Amino acid sequence: MATNPMSQFEVHSIGPKIQIGNFDLSFTNSSLFMVLTVSIISLFFIGATQKKSLVPDKIQLIAEMAFEFVSKMISETAGKDARPYFPFILSLFLFVLVANLLGMLPYSFTVTSHIIVTFALAFFIFIGVTIVGFAKHGISYLKLFVPSGVPVFLLPLIIVIELISYLSRPVSLSVRLFANMMAGHTMLKVFGSFVVSLGILGGWLPLGFAVALTGLELLVAFIQAYVFAILTCIYLNDALNLHH
Amino acid sequence: MNDIKDLEKKIKKLSLKTKKEESSSKSSSSLGMAMKLSSEMVAAVFVASLIGYYIDKLFKTQPFFLIFLFFLGSVAGIINVVRSSKMINKD
Repeated sequence: MATNPMSQFEVHSIGPKIQIGNFDLSFTNSSLFMVLTVSIISLFFIGATQKKSLVPDKIQLIAEMAFEFVSKMISETAGKDARPYFPFILSLFLFVLVANLLGMLPYSFTVTSHIIVTFALAFFIFIGVTIVGFAKHGISYLKLFVPSGVPVFLLPLIIVIELISYLSRPVSLSVRLFANMMAGHTMLKVFGSFVVSLGILGGWLPLGFAVALTGLELLVAFIQAYVFAILTCIYLNDALNLHH
Repeated sequence: MNDIKDLEKKIKKLSLKTKKEESSSKSSSSLGMAMKLSSEMVAAVFVASLIGYYIDKLFKTQPFFLIFLFFLGSVAGIINVVRSSKMINKD
């Protein structure tokens, strides 16, 4: 068994090597878990909406709860105008949540512990929100960078600061998720290896820590998915309802 | 008559329970908001410094823009933190 706590994050290809141009498009364990995540969500919702009874059974209840949770989150943070983006936010939330929870299973791979995955998600949100803002407000969307009531001689500085703060959104969004997942899983692995190296005499304390950390990690997995989705809502709100 | 009273008691108990659960879900979301603050600060500084580095490379003015934008980035980070904490207070 590998004792290196970082070895759990290694990406290796499964199956044949596929190379197109300069890009290595082989199917990796990361892609496998992304496919697994998407298929679990799809199968779950297909199964849950099969009966559509008025009094829901357990599976249907969970699906309805997830649906309502996201629906409430959108209406609270982004208002009515954000309704059309509900499917996007729901799938985003479920993808991050299920990827995080799948990573909690032993011997599995955590997709969201790689910054390239989270950054790709955050970057597309960023581009999408910017497009939505320009489509809705036209060129006056640039007013977002000019807060009202600022003296004219300060404007050049303020605009640069606002621009930086706008551009830092995808970075902060992606780094948060990635750092939380990676730190948590590394810590779990370190405590796990303490259990092995301390043996039956001293291993009980780190074992207790590992159990407690597993609970904490489950909480973090949920919270991070929630934060990812709610921040998307907040950014969408900024784009839809321009006010400063 | 007794049955109805029993039922009422049961309902009260259960509604108390759900109230508790609601408040706990709120606290978990504020924990998420707290986690948000730290990365906000770092991200602004990082992005600004990166932009500064590439402007320097373009105009061969090392290290003027890197330093200048580093400070601007810190300002933007602080503004970000203040803004999101204001948003938490509003809720």
